[in-house]
Amino acid sequence: MAAPRGWRLVRHGRCQLLHTKPSVVPPQSLYPPVVASHTAKSKSAKRLRLEYFYQKVHEAPSIEEKLRLYGVLQRPKYVVYPQTFSLNADRWYQSFTKTVFVPGPPPAREQPAGRADPPLSELRSLVCDALLQEHFYQRKRERPFLYREQEHIPAPFLTQLVSSLTAALGSHNPLLTTSCLDLKPQVNFYWERGETVVCRGYRTGRVDPVRFQIDDKPHVQIRVPKQLPEFVPLDYSVPGEVPVINHQPDKLPLFKRQYDNKIFIGSKVADPCSYGHTQFHLIPDKLKRERLLKANLADQIEVVYRANGIASLFAWTAAQALYQGFWCEADVTRPFVSQAVITDGKYFAFFCYQLNTLALTVRADQDNPRKNICWGTESKPLYEAVEDNNVKGFNDEILLHLVRFLLNTPEEL
Amino acid sequence: MKHFFSPHGHGGGLQPGLGPFGPGKVYPSPSSPCGGPAVPAVRASYPIYQLGNPQLRIFRPNFFMTLVRPGVPQPEDTVQFRISMQMTRVDVKNYLEKIYNVPVSVVRTRIQYGANNKRNHKNQKVKIPDYKVAYVQLGQGQTFQFPNLFPEKEETPEPGSIEDIQKQFMENEKQRQRADPRRGGVTDWFGL
Repeated sequence: MAAPRGWRLVRHGRCQLLHTKPSVVPPQSLYPPVVASHTAKSKSAKRLRLEYFYQKVHEAPSIEEKLRLYGVLQRPKYVVYPQTFSLNADRWYQSFTKTVFVPGPPPAREQPAGRADPPLSELRSLVCDALLQEHFYQRKRERPFLYREQEHIPAPFLTQLVSSLTAALGSHNPLLTTSCLDLKPQVNFYWERGETVVCRGYRTGRVDPVRFQIDDKPHVQIRVPKQLPEFVPLDYSVPGEVPVINHQPDKLPLFKRQYDNKIFIGSKVADPCSYGHTQFHLIPDKLKRERLLKANLADQIEVVYRANGIASLFAWTAAQALYQGFWCEADVTRPFVSQAVITDGKYFAFFCYQLNTLALTVRADQDNPRKNICWGTESKPLYEAVEDNNVKGFNDEILLHLVRFLLNTPEEL
Repeated sequence: MKHFFSPHGHGGGLQPGLGPFGPGKVYPSPSSPCGGPAVPAVRASYPIYQLGNPQLRIFRPNFFMTLVRPGVPQPEDTVQFRISMQMTRVDVKNYLEKIYNVPVSVVRTRIQYGANNKRNHKNQKVKIPDYKVAYVQLGQGQTFQFPNLFPEKEETPEPGSIEDIQKQFMENEKQRQRADPRRGGVTDWFGL
């Protein structure tokens, strides 16, 4: 009867181990941990290789090395154009970037006492000067070539407007004195969102993340050494939903290309002005208001502005976050805020973006309640008409909005 | 090269001496029994082109468009057509807007190449014809879903008819063939 007695003893001992806490800590194992193979053709091996890659990126010695490893693998990716003719592109871009669009200006911040409002009349005269210079005083000899009308008059007007307003408001906003003004800079960002099954080629059948790249060229941008203050807290739950689109991005239409995965804010990592303040975009000739009205696409006019604002600002803020060392596996711990003004020379639309999360991949987005937020206004005209020597119907609201944008600064400097 | 499509026969009400395309040469309208585009023998003469003149005049076009079910799911506002190889996206837009009053925002087209590797009984290559596909995005927020043309109908035969008796008989036969469910899937090789 040894066997039954032994069985009973073992059973008793095992029950004790299950329900009571061990009073003695088990000693450190003499053997290394049992992990999956590194090179096998199995799912666990693939997971382990991913873990090793993420660890390598986490432990990268410098930001440049981290950026290099983040985009080291080149694969075909969708090229997202912020200025696009696609219909309803703003909803698609919101779903690619996990952004909630909130119409209207962002929640106003309390103005600290002791800050005087700048004299609007001087600024108005500066703006009118720039307008009249391009529209009337300067004689433009050549007739603009096809689809190059925007760079004839609105482009130099916008550059002059931004530089003169920034210089004039330097006394009211000391942050602008330490800022950097870029003309036609490059802004690039590469990210992954969602998963799909590869349908053609030697990688058929494998589950792949959907990759995107934005290569943007704003007309002018202002970069500052300090981050703008947040509009809402990092984990604020926005009243609004990220649109979910259950179709392939090809249907937008969006096309794939394979090239260098570039991440750039307008300057390299070592530049002290590594945060963004405001971007100024010019709508190209093919997306002008008159062309859209002629093609019976009047409802797409605002869509063009919104899509441009969301895509450009997402790329800029996310690239700024990557420059600070955050990435999709190491999500941002503070929100990144930037502003944009999108215009076609006459109509101005203002956008503010708050980046709350970079975790857009399937693995990182599983329990992520945070969403990025974009506030935007409708496009309104700055003036009615320019006739001979004067500007008719100047809209002071737009100028005020512009000035408030440029005066945006963190409280402590 | 664009083909100019001829109207079928002479239009009634046209003055004698004037061809269907205004003062110019009148060319015969070849009959096209198969409905394909017909190339006229002599091209009509128009005044010299100046900025703003129409560039392509088509009267009573000989085009045909087929609404097809998309093979790949398309967004709600997208309708898929197979169109004539000679049509352009501008033609598609005008066709739908003017003839059918369908508001169209944007049209995208592509040509589907038909493969040439099938062989017939004489080992000659047989070409599958090429065709052009147009993806039309509707305007004014309209949506379209290709309907299910062959919905499955639940056929309930009326009691007392021959189909009902046959169905009952077949069901009984199948029931007799099935094993005893109390055996839990075990075959009757085992046991008594």
